Amino acid sequence: MKIFKIALGILAAIGGFVDIGDLVFNVAAGAIFGYQLLWVVVVGVVGIIVYSEMCGRVAAVSNKAVFDAVRERVGFRAGLVTLVAAQVVNLMTLAAEVGGVAICLRLLSGLPYRWLILAAIVGLGIVVWVVSFEWIERIFGYGGLCLLVFAVAAVKLHPDWGAVAHGYVPHMDTEDTALYLFFAVGLLGAAMTPYEVYFYSSGGVEEGWKPKDLGLNRANAIIGYSLGGFFSFALMIVGGALFLEQGIQPDFLGSIALGAEVPIGEVGLLLALIGILFAVGGASIDTLFAGAYNLAQFFGWEWGRYRHASGAPRFTLTWMVLLGLALAIVMTGVDPVQLTEYAVIFSVVALPLTYLPILLVANDRAYMGKYVNGRVSNVLGVAYLVVILAVSLTAIPLMIITNVGQG
Amino acid sequence: MRRAALLAALVAALAACNGGTVDQHALKQDSEAVDSLACEGALLANDVGKGSTTHNFVEVHAGELAQRASNFADALSERPTLPAIEREVRAEARKAGAIAGLLDQVKKYPNRPVAESLRDRLEKRGGCS
Repeated sequence: MKIFKIALGILAAIGGFVDIGDLVFNVAAGAIFGYQLLWVVVVGVVGIIVYSEMCGRVAAVSNKAVFDAVRERVGFRAGLVTLVAAQVVNLMTLAAEVGGVAICLRLLSGLPYRWLILAAIVGLGIVVWVVSFEWIERIFGYGGLCLLVFAVAAVKLHPDWGAVAHGYVPHMDTEDTALYLFFAVGLLGAAMTPYEVYFYSSGGVEEGWKPKDLGLNRANAIIGYSLGGFFSFALMIVGGALFLEQGIQPDFLGSIALGAEVPIGEVGLLLALIGILFAVGGASIDTLFAGAYNLAQFFGWEWGRYRHASGAPRFTLTWMVLLGLALAIVMTGVDPVQLTEYAVIFSVVALPLTYLPILLVANDRAYMGKYVNGRVSNVLGVAYLVVILAVSLTAIPLMIITNVGQG
Repeated sequence: MRRAALLAALVAALAACNGGTVDQHALKQDSEAVDSLACEGALLANDVGKGSTTHNFVEVHAGELAQRASNFADALSERPTLPAIEREVRAEARKAGAIAGLLDQVKKYPNRPVAESLRDRLEKRGGCS
């Protein structure tokens, strides 16, 4: 029974892995560079496993989520800078995800976009208020599994499998180095989205993880994210096999769905749209909670998605305000796909601010006792710190040089 | 003074990327983007012909593609252009306008023969492979 429960949890995690950033960057990278950047997805997936595993372990051993640890480790002022950066990125991501939900609903229904934005916000608010978190996780996680249609589409498009395999070996077969690097940074950012980690570690604290749950934490992180990474592979292969061949720049969410329609037909289209709807809807809820968690943990408020609104009023008010702000942003008419590109790049810039404190805490024997980082965790943790710092410093210059990937 | 110069250079660089004078590089980029819209429209028209898509999807997505092509047509016909390439730029504007018109027809989910004809014309306009 326990194994069955774990399997269900992992299935939900796989379905919940993909968000709008993964959709946009993986397909666009495939459309421009074919399969050349598949290796970056592997680096990103291992990175999010390392980061999440450390956060989950810190949560299980010390009962502290990310922003508890950040404030304790770096102090109020530096912590506040980190909080502001994290919240700005989080809000951009939330707005992009909500816009993505509205676009998907529009592609399915043909109804006016602005009404659907409103419907998406009201719908998400009702779901968060009424539905138990366990069911939210299941509904959106399993719904997101419809994205498996992209794996079928990838196979049916008959890509050059030799070239696909070569994509897992780092190489650069282009003269546009800056654009290649921009997409490498974007793919890393899309895979290592910070809100997933805030959400994951806060969930660990709420579910009362103890050191005995560390095996489960590790299994969740490794299996869930690794299998979720296959969605990214499939999306990039579709981008390479269909759009690169045809000289198409997939600038719309509809273009991504077309990637399943062309090889599979109407069923492929509907599964893709439903998968995107659930994946992006689930990510909206994760992002919403992540924003509320961060603020509540930093200022020491009561927090928790399992708690009634009256038990954590400021936490509840925070997610409501965030939802309202996201509504205001999307209603301006900003393109959610473009907003996603900015959100992913800025999330990469802010990533070291939360990664470093977690690495320090996970290495602190006074905090972690015998569960302190081992040799493998440390080597990986430090290696990723170097990667994250390099990517963080180059992200904005690359964004300007490439005109946000437009070349 | 130096900061102001740097800022001015940055603004100039950004303007060159986003709606300043159309030069050879901008023309090439816009031309590729317009061709991309045509080729994507051709894929969509092909699926309309086969009946392997939905009305709502076609109406919305072809509408988005048509709107983007129309924006290119407007921008390329109005933006200041280097004199040496002005004729090419205006021709590209006319092409974008024609593609927008074809995409507007795809949007209406036409019958099979019309959809196939639209596919062929979009493929030809976009130089699709």
